[in-house]
Amino acid sequence: MAAVPQFKVDQSAEGPVLRLAGTLGRPEVRALVAALQTASTGRATLTLDLSAVVSMDSAIVATLIAGWRQAQARGGKLILGAMSPVAETALAAFRVGPAQKAPPSPPTVIEALGATALSTRSAFLDFLQLAADVTFAVGAALVRRAPLRFSAVIEQAIDIGSRALGIVGLITFLVGLTVAFQSAYQLQQFGAAIYVANLTGVSMVREMAPLMCAILVAGRSGSSIAAEIATMKVQEEVDALQVMGMDPLRYLAVPRMLAMTFTIPLLTAMADLLGILGGFLVGIFYLDIAPVAFINQMLSSMVPWDLVSGLIKSVAFAWGIGLIGLYYGFKVQGGASEVGRMTTASVVASIFYIIVADCLFSVLFYVVL
Amino acid sequence: MVEGVVARYGDRTILDGVNLTVQPGEVRAILGGSGCGKSTLLKCCIGLKVPDAGRALMLGQQLETLSEADQRQLLTRVGVLFQYGALLGSITIGENVALPLKEHTDLPPAVITEIVRLKLAQVELSHAENLLPSELSGGMRKRAALARAMALDPALLFCDEPGAGLDPLTSAELDELLLRMRDRFGMAIVVVTHELLSIRKIADKALMLSQGKVIADGTLQEVIDTDHPEVRAFFSRQAAGELRGPPSALDVLRGTRT
Repeated sequence: MAAVPQFKVDQSAEGPVLRLAGTLGRPEVRALVAALQTASTGRATLTLDLSAVVSMDSAIVATLIAGWRQAQARGGKLILGAMSPVAETALAAFRVGPAQKAPPSPPTVIEALGATALSTRSAFLDFLQLAADVTFAVGAALVRRAPLRFSAVIEQAIDIGSRALGIVGLITFLVGLTVAFQSAYQLQQFGAAIYVANLTGVSMVREMAPLMCAILVAGRSGSSIAAEIATMKVQEEVDALQVMGMDPLRYLAVPRMLAMTFTIPLLTAMADLLGILGGFLVGIFYLDIAPVAFINQMLSSMVPWDLVSGLIKSVAFAWGIGLIGLYYGFKVQGGASEVGRMTTASVVASIFYIIVADCLFSVLFYVVL
Repeated sequence: MVEGVVARYGDRTILDGVNLTVQPGEVRAILGGSGCGKSTLLKCCIGLKVPDAGRALMLGQQLETLSEADQRQLLTRVGVLFQYGALLGSITIGENVALPLKEHTDLPPAVITEIVRLKLAQVELSHAENLLPSELSGGMRKRAALARAMALDPALLFCDEPGAGLDPLTSAELDELLLRMRDRFGMAIVVVTHELLSIRKIADKALMLSQGKVIADGTLQEVIDTDHPEVRAFFSRQAAGELRGPPSALDVLRGTRT
């Protein structure tokens, strides 16, 4: 048989016949498509004669199947006539997957906004449910109605607290330094450099230390909580706790929440001191303020509520970071990539929460109260 | 143990009216190809998924209808060996095995320690008591997880693909271990698996699923002798595509199948 590829259309009593011959492969696909389009029109039945085919690859088989689908769509037919053994073997070797439905058209802006609103609402309700369950579990542990793994609380507190000491201390020290420098630049013009002490003390204790501490803890410990829980979920460790009759919230969530609640305010207090230290160094070395004068000025400008309000915020931040980390951890489904995605999402959500909560506290403490 | 169970994920029906029973001292295999609903059936049996219809009973009781205290009590009589062990990675093997003992009993620490050593010796992991799960091989982790599942001497043991990821020798050792547990303690064992060698070795009865429905149920020999093409294909390791799956291009163009 000739190996040169050939396509020829003949007419028979039953209708058009497309004869394929020779060695047929990917280079002949375009010619075959053209031949199929020429030979098969309207509702006619096109017969394929493959008796002279020497070889045929998957591209040719796929092209024939595509032609068959197009004929069906027109209401026509594409049928097999004579076949060489090679052609028969090639056709039998390849399976035909079902035609997939066309993908849905992308949503409109309104549809996308609506879908986002619905999924956000659903996620918010799930979060509230988790927050309620965790709060109940923590409460039950504190009033001793449920066993408390004290060693786990200590372990988590060490992990969250001691390992964050360095970074929180350094950052808040530098922030104190920066705040003092920036305020000194303006205040010196009015001969009021001493008020750097007021500004550093009040701003650090009320705002900057709790805020910076919370953001750093969200990135370090909040993500760690999300990643740990998510990994345990993926590895079925959470399921294992459940089938052993152990409440995963009591075992996993309560120690972490208690550790956050006690550790973050302590870190915040340390951050207060180090932030003030940064401002203090600027005051005595750059502004030549006497150390005692700086301290007296700072203390005279502050009231106990400055410290208390900062610590109240730190507790609220701690709970938010912990709950968000737990939420994203327990939410994971799938494998390692989902663990990464949920961890990142928890950090972003935590930081967003911190900023929003800080704003609300500002309104509450300084406008309403 | 399950009666007429229907389970869905969204609008996909995974199990459609499945019935399963298991007797004390019996090894029941749940068989089927990938995606047939085996793992979902196991989850319904152990209470990780509430069926959308039907009942899942554990030792004659429906878990979700019990109080929290009764649920905990019931779960102490059941052990589960997860596919990859599901040992808690942050604690040692010994602590993993001790976990259910500490949670559900008021035994003195010294007694718990001895029980842990007994259980680890049963699975030949006495040397691993102070090791972390990450320090063990896959087969050792499975055996450690089995020791944990057995910590409270359960009446019913579930195993999710115990041989998955193991070499044939280790898988055979695990099969032997399961049979010894059954013989020594008379427990009922439900094994989800698709490994033929394992099935032939350990299963007394089998239930085969296909696309969420039961296509064979009975003693292992009865199931093997079932005149159902998928069952025959499963046990003869015949390629699935020859029985089901898309038609060939030849069939399509001939009009034999579409």
